[in-house]
Amino acid sequence: MIIEFLKMGGYGFYVWSSFLIVFTFCSLLFYKTRKTLKKYEKEFAMELEKLPAKQKKRITKSSKVVSNILASQNKLS
Amino acid sequence: MDFFSFGNIIVYIDKFIKFINSIFFVILIIGISFALIISPVDYLQGDSVRIMYVHVPSAWIGLSIFSLIAISTILNFIFKIKNLFLFIKSLAPIGLLFTCLSIVTGSLWGKPTWGTWWAWDARLTSMLVLMLFYVLFIFSLKYFKNNENLTKILSILSILGIINIPIIKYSVEWWSTLHQPASIKFLGSSSIHPSMLFPLFLMLLVLLLYCALIFLMKYKTEIIKIKKQNIKRL
Repeated sequence: MIIEFLKMGGYGFYVWSSFLIVFTFCSLLFYKTRKTLKKYEKEFAMELEKLPAKQKKRITKSSKVVSNILASQNKLS
Repeated sequence: MDFFSFGNIIVYIDKFIKFINSIFFVILIIGISFALIISPVDYLQGDSVRIMYVHVPSAWIGLSIFSLIAISTILNFIFKIKNLFLFIKSLAPIGLLFTCLSIVTGSLWGKPTWGTWWAWDARLTSMLVLMLFYVLFIFSLKYFKNNENLTKILSILSILGIINIPIIKYSVEWWSTLHQPASIKFLGSSSIHPSMLFPLFLMLLVLLLYCALIFLMKYKTEIIKIKKQNIKRL
């Protein structure tokens, strides 16, 4: 029964290749996008660390973007 | 207008990403089960009809994204809205991916159905042209740093590219092609059975959720890039 399912009535190669190609390339784009996002979040946090403590505290309090990035960085660590 | 500030947008992006993550795999498993197991075999094409469940949504997404990009580029050229530029930059790679996937899966469907991987017929060629427009779009976004020149180039590409969209849609009616005419009509009755239509829309939903996820992550990356450049001015 499983063999029959894999054969797909003789069209197995075409059907499985189509699904495999779609899911492989979608996964690749997902991982590349996620990796880039994490890289920029990390770089941003590092840039923030370089700022004087007073300025860093002020920015973290006032900017939603900064607090959001720091929160996701804390989750990772 | 504070609602559209980067601070608010990034908060909503995170909420949407969490929501998509929570439902995505359930819908994916249901969609794949319907596409590969539950949906019936076609009386003429046999099991090869299952390729439709990835081919057709990919083509729809490729076409819709280009239309969105083209309209946004023209609006950006007229009104100079900064967020629209980020929107275009985040959407273009997704559109290119799905246009390529529709061409490749179409080729894999064409071999058992028409007996050939490729034919220079109107539908296939116009899809290839769409892919080239996406490539030019992404190339311009990457290599033109001058914002004014970039906006002009993208607007020209959009105007030229948008002409291709109705050509793709109506190519199967205007010319004699290997590709079959549209089976699904949004205005009018479809010639496809509901037992196949349901899995098709389910797979469309899966791929649309995937697109939303990638778009949101790319948009967030673009916001962080901008904020990183201006970190000292925050």
